Amino acid sequence: MAGDRAVTAPSSASETDGQARAWGWVGHLRSGGTTPWSAWQDRAPAREQAGRYLPGAQQLELLRRLNQQRVPGPELAGRVLAASAPGRGRPDLGLVGVLPRTRFGPAPVDPSELPPDELVRVATALIAEDVVAAGEPAPPRPTRRFRRRYRLLGDPELARPFREALVADGRPPGGSGATVVVLGTDTEQMLVHAWTARCFGTEGVRPWPEWVAAAARGGALPPRIDLAGTARAWAARVGAGRVHVVLDDPPYGARLAGLRHPATTRPDLSADAIELARRIGPVVGSLVPPERRALLLWHRLRPLLAGFDGATLLVPERHRPWLAERTTDQRRRLGRGDYAVHGDLPDPSAAPAAGRPGERVGVAAPDDERVLALAMQVLLGPPAGALDEPGESV
Amino acid sequence: MTKKVYLHVGTPKTGTSYLQHVLFNNREKLLTKSIRYPAERFDDHFLAALDLMRLPWGGLETDAIGAWDHLAAQVRRWPGTSIISHEILATASRAQIGHALETLGHGDDAEVHLVLSVRDLVRQIPAEWQENVKHRAALPYGRFLDQIQDPRREGRIATWFWGVQEIPDILDRWGHDLPPEHVHVVTVPPAGGSPDLLWQRFTEAFGLTGVSLALDGERMNPSLGAPETALIRRINRAANEELEPADYRPLVRELLAHQTLSRRTGSPRLGLPPDVHPWATELEDAWIDEVRRRGYDVVGDLDDLRGGPPLTEYADPDHPDEALVAGAAVDALKALLLDNARLRHELGHRQGDLDQAHRELEKAYLRPTYRWRQKLVRRLETGRAGRLAMRAYRRARGRSSRSA
Repeated sequence: MAGDRAVTAPSSASETDGQARAWGWVGHLRSGGTTPWSAWQDRAPAREQAGRYLPGAQQLELLRRLNQQRVPGPELAGRVLAASAPGRGRPDLGLVGVLPRTRFGPAPVDPSELPPDELVRVATALIAEDVVAAGEPAPPRPTRRFRRRYRLLGDPELARPFREALVADGRPPGGSGATVVVLGTDTEQMLVHAWTARCFGTEGVRPWPEWVAAAARGGALPPRIDLAGTARAWAARVGAGRVHVVLDDPPYGARLAGLRHPATTRPDLSADAIELARRIGPVVGSLVPPERRALLLWHRLRPLLAGFDGATLLVPERHRPWLAERTTDQRRRLGRGDYAVHGDLPDPSAAPAAGRPGERVGVAAPDDERVLALAMQVLLGPPAGALDEPGESV
Repeated sequence: MTKKVYLHVGTPKTGTSYLQHVLFNNREKLLTKSIRYPAERFDDHFLAALDLMRLPWGGLETDAIGAWDHLAAQVRRWPGTSIISHEILATASRAQIGHALETLGHGDDAEVHLVLSVRDLVRQIPAEWQENVKHRAALPYGRFLDQIQDPRREGRIATWFWGVQEIPDILDRWGHDLPPEHVHVVTVPPAGGSPDLLWQRFTEAFGLTGVSLALDGERMNPSLGAPETALIRRINRAANEELEPADYRPLVRELLAHQTLSRRTGSPRLGLPPDVHPWATELEDAWIDEVRRRGYDVVGDLDDLRGGPPLTEYADPDHPDEALVAGAAVDALKALLLDNARLRHELGHRQGDLDQAHRELEKAYLRPTYRWRQKLVRRLETGRAGRLAMRAYRRARGRSSRSA
């Protein structure tokens, strides 16, 4: 077959040797080996130089790094080697030293020198397939005829789990006479939550540093976490008596909305987990329609990522003056509203009050190496116990 | 009869849109010759390519889910000749190509023929930058040229450019499993030649000789001059952050670039800077030698891949004639104003319809008892006791009184 030209009819002895060595390395990695390409010398026997083409350096290096963590089963190893990196970016690259360098095609590389981002791209293709294969959650129970009407708004990360719990129980939001509950917390955390929600959404979003810089340039807080703006709009629509802004106490807000026994909220996802979700989202979006994408990201990917610890995300230092200014503005507008406000936003100019956490600890941006490490953990399976909680719980 | 599949995978800016337009509009005629161009809408093959390569494309990818397998299934079912054409397929990886060929029946019952239409780099380089600009890019031409000349090819711009333009590499990836005689390289004639010559070459490559097709006189995807491209780049820089992709496509790419600025044919054309010319022509020579060495079926003349001489009067789009840019901007403003006026008129008509509907609704609500009940309900809803009373009333009355 013409496809075997490069293997069976090489143009030179060095080409034969390079190809045989590369196929030897493929076999080594398939069997769980971890030797880097630069240190690999053994040639594969002719009968093992099989395959239509040599897998790309990205795929091979990802498999080597997976082997370093925990040797994957043959099925996953095969999927890694056959995967294509989705979206735009560098093409599958050749291994340095296999073929004589020509003036055509991308330059071959030493796989161990590839930036982690390239390996994450390959990993996202596989994780997205797994997320889709996991299937959608059970549909919610039929809508109850007699139910308390509510709207749970504000910080998307605080409101959504309770809203999902209510919807699953046959109590969708909205309806005549609904109580409007606007959940909020510390502005920095809300900003991270707003970006997190976009990462798990269907529209796609820019990386955190760019997104937060654009928000700061724009001046205003994103509409979803503009608590005062949301409360004012709903007060004008349904009357201030039906609007409650609840700060730092999501379970109380959930009870106001009619959830009798709200579970405690989960801790925030790590910065790297959110970034990984941001990269996986569009790949899932290339496999399923937007409504299924949203369901799968929330009910399948999110619980998976929640099982891994990591540093939380913070607003970069240079945007803190803007953040303080927005917090002050939000405090002032909440104070002027004629709706109920439960709790308060911390005053950025005051020292942390007793019982409140002071300076938050975390990172100002995700890190590609850590994102890769997390992606590999996800591919290999979560640590024991990470999936004990069902995905639908709060 | 051998079942054949002609797979046209690029390259961009080689008359591909025109070819696809003709094939799409002549689907019925082609069927009478047992040739199928399997498409229900014009961009079906584009969507299939997005799906095959899992490429995001400003939200269009959601329309593309499953499109490749659907297209391939149609090809597999068709006993005669099938044609597939989209230029972004040029960037596919070896794994994606393997999947594509397998699903089309390669190695089973189909004889797959690869078609690659190619044009000299001297024309392709400025055309690619212009295409980038029409897809929201804001980088200056000079930076684009630097990036594509950087041997590391690391950025998005360089990887895409070489992915769709590096002829020997594309042919190596796509033609890897095919005998050279089934790989057809169609060269685009030099500028100034007969406009029909390229079409004749396409008909030969696709086995359409003798098939009478209705040719549309309009060439698709028109090009812009240097000041017009500079203007679009400036618009991108100013509006990218606020203009959603779904709005960019109809307003900037279609209305401004294609429908308005491309008509300014008197402005200086975009070209290759004279200092980049030697690098490009050296590459062209190497590519010509390589393609010739591999023994593919060349439709046309490989010497067509050798670009024209360096420009004597180069119009730098990074330092354009500001008077020409201002002229283009006035044309753009005029087009936007006219479009806005059209939308306002349309909005006025819609508003008129809506007002009429409201008036009719109001008439229905004018009965005194309705207005009295409405006032009562509003008053009750302002207090807790009233709300409870209303809830009890609604429950007692049953479903018809609850909101929809």
